[in-house]
Amino acid sequence: MSAAQFFKGLPGVAGAAGLLALARRALRRPQREAERLADMERQVAALERDNARLQEEADLLARDNAALEDASSQLRDDLDEQVQAVDALRHAVQAQRAGRARLGQQVRQMEDEARHLKELGITFERWHEQMISLMEQNQGMHAMNAELSSIVRHVIIVSLNASIEAARAGPVGRGFAVVASEVRQLAMRSEELSKEYSANLHRSDLTTTATFQDIQAGGKMIMASLSSLGAKAGQLGVELQQEPA
Amino acid sequence: MISERARAGFDDLFVAALRSRLPRSGADDIAIDPVMDAGAPARPGATIVVLTISSIRFRLLFMLDVAEDDAMRAYYVPDNAAMRFREAFAEVANLCGGLLSQGLQSHFPDLGMSTPYVLDTGCLGHLDSLKPGHLSRHAVTINGAVRIVATMCICAHAAIDFVPGSAVVEVCEGELELF
Repeated sequence: MSAAQFFKGLPGVAGAAGLLALARRALRRPQREAERLADMERQVAALERDNARLQEEADLLARDNAALEDASSQLRDDLDEQVQAVDALRHAVQAQRAGRARLGQQVRQMEDEARHLKELGITFERWHEQMISLMEQNQGMHAMNAELSSIVRHVIIVSLNASIEAARAGPVGRGFAVVASEVRQLAMRSEELSKEYSANLHRSDLTTTATFQDIQAGGKMIMASLSSLGAKAGQLGVELQQEPA
Repeated sequence: MISERARAGFDDLFVAALRSRLPRSGADDIAIDPVMDAGAPARPGATIVVLTISSIRFRLLFMLDVAEDDAMRAYYVPDNAAMRFREAFAEVANLCGGLLSQGLQSHFPDLGMSTPYVLDTGCLGHLDSLKPGHLSRHAVTINGAVRIVATMCICAHAAIDFVPGSAVVEVCEGELELF
């Protein structure tokens, strides 16, 4: 049984006990208030510490944010540069493709031209045939000159015989001797001319042959160079085709 | 216009080509002697087989002065009587010129050679009209019986100089020669 129940059961005594309880409660109130105040102060202090920590965190976040903005700005700049570089590269690749196409076309033209020029060999051979024709004509002139030379030698012998016969005839043959001597001199001059003509024909043979052989050999030299040029152009064309686009 | 050492180089290649291609067999005895008199008179009854090797800087006339006698015919056309001597000998000249051309190619990459042609030996007396820069003549005797006079006439159109010494490129017998 509590004191309150005890005094409740006792008239007169009950009022004093109530007062006592009230006094006790009145005495206990400031203590609780103080405790409450102290508790609130502790809470305030804790809140202040929390606030300070949050402030630090906010400052840190602000710094991180600024750094992120800087990094973001740098990334944007880098991205712009990369985009420009890619554009430049794309243009360069397009220009290279166009250049390679032009080069391929020029190589094909070069190949065609070399193939076409190789037909010049026909021309060189035609000139060589002309040389053979010219030389055959020269051979004809050699033969005619040899015949002429033979006739001239015969005339010389005849004129010598005529001179002998004129001498035998004595004074009657004096005029004939003069004619025979004249004929012999003309024949000897003709023989000299025939030899000169033969020498000229030989010089002409040599010059003609040397010239036309030079043309033929030079033609073969040109043909070889053209073949080499055509082969190189063909090889270049194949390499251009094999190169990845 | 043609330097001394280039002349020596041309002569070396010329003689090497004669030594290699004029004998039909390597076992044949061959003597090659220089003929000092460049204007030696033509041999009666002889003809010359001539071919030209051309480059940008010069032209070279290679001439073989040959008399078609029994010894010559027996040596160059022993088995095939139907084959004309001139054709057979033109082929020999072609082989000689081809080897000379091959030897020159290491010094002059752009060369061409003509086909051979037969001239009268009377033409030899007019080589001066071509204004040669170098004239070389050698008498060749094979097995003491076959006699050929070989002449090389070089007409230069520019200065020519090269260091001789590179040997003539030998081509094995039967191997295809392209020139």
